[in-house]
Amino acid sequence: MSKVAKLVTMNNAYDDLVSRTLSGLQCDLARLIYLASTRDYNSGMYHHEGLAGRYGAESARVALRAAHKDTFYRLVSLSLEDLVAELDNYVRISREAPTGLIHAWQELEPYRVAVPMDVDSTMVQLFLSNIRLALEILQFRRAKALECRPASSLQPLLGR
Amino acid sequence: MTSTPLLISLALFVAALLLWLTRDEDNVEGDGEERPLDATSTNLPDGRPRAEIVFRVFSSVDQEFIAHLDSPRLRRMYQQERRKVALHWVVRTSRDVTRIMTAHRLASRQTHNLDVRTETKLFLQYLRLRLICALLILLIKSFGPHFLSDLAAHACELYRGMGRVLAEGSLANRIATVEETTTH
Repeated sequence: MSKVAKLVTMNNAYDDLVSRTLSGLQCDLARLIYLASTRDYNSGMYHHEGLAGRYGAESARVALRAAHKDTFYRLVSLSLEDLVAELDNYVRISREAPTGLIHAWQELEPYRVAVPMDVDSTMVQLFLSNIRLALEILQFRRAKALECRPASSLQPLLGR
Repeated sequence: MTSTPLLISLALFVAALLLWLTRDEDNVEGDGEERPLDATSTNLPDGRPRAEIVFRVFSSVDQEFIAHLDSPRLRRMYQQERRKVALHWVVRTSRDVTRIMTAHRLASRQTHNLDVRTETKLFLQYLRLRLICALLILLIKSFGPHFLSDLAAHACELYRGMGRVLAEGSLANRIATVEETTTH
């Protein structure tokens, strides 16, 4: 296959991945986790059965790696406020109990595995640091909301 | 009359002190990774703009957001986190530029036609950048990174400037080598 044909195939694989698979996920954090899950822990190689079947293993690998990096860059570029909103969205769509998810993320730090390879280490530090902060902020907000809830839920009882 | 040498000595002493105080940072903050260096590029090795990352790390936008949350614990945590990331960037920049200069020095030994003016300019830029990095480390540790965005941007610009000088020097050397081989 010529270089140009290879590039076109890789580009098509990328477009396919973005339009079919990634667009179905509701936020960038979910996309990042998904893309990281297509990477083998031992070899660091990406694999996607459907994509490899259509465009070949190499093109699929390149497309997945590029999409992973792009998603990571978008998340690193977010302000802390936007990242908190993103994480909140992720917690909501995950269907897990928010308290449990936040606690598990704080303890196990699974987002560390979601970082692509060969990205600048300052970016990685910034991303990890922002996620840690975003988790704390979410926890703080939830605790505050819970503090307010008993008072408001008491009102109808008092009125009865 | 006697004040000028005194001032120069004082400036040199302060510069040496700054470098000495921050000499261990490379080992403490460094991640030990070896990666290809390219100071000529305005981008990171993976193609991301360097200045954009510096802006994100030193920007006060997130600090304002944290201040609105009205939680001393979060504020403290935020300060610690940002300080860590900012220090990481400064140490990396300082270490990268040292490695570039070491590589350049080794390459210069093979060159017959060294341009003294370019080399002096490069060395002075290197010294300036190292001093700014040392100053940044001290200031970040003392006050946090948020008032230092201009200094960080300046360091970024100096780093790129050094890259340009290096690129020009290497091009001139290559031309001279080609000329030398064609005349012999």
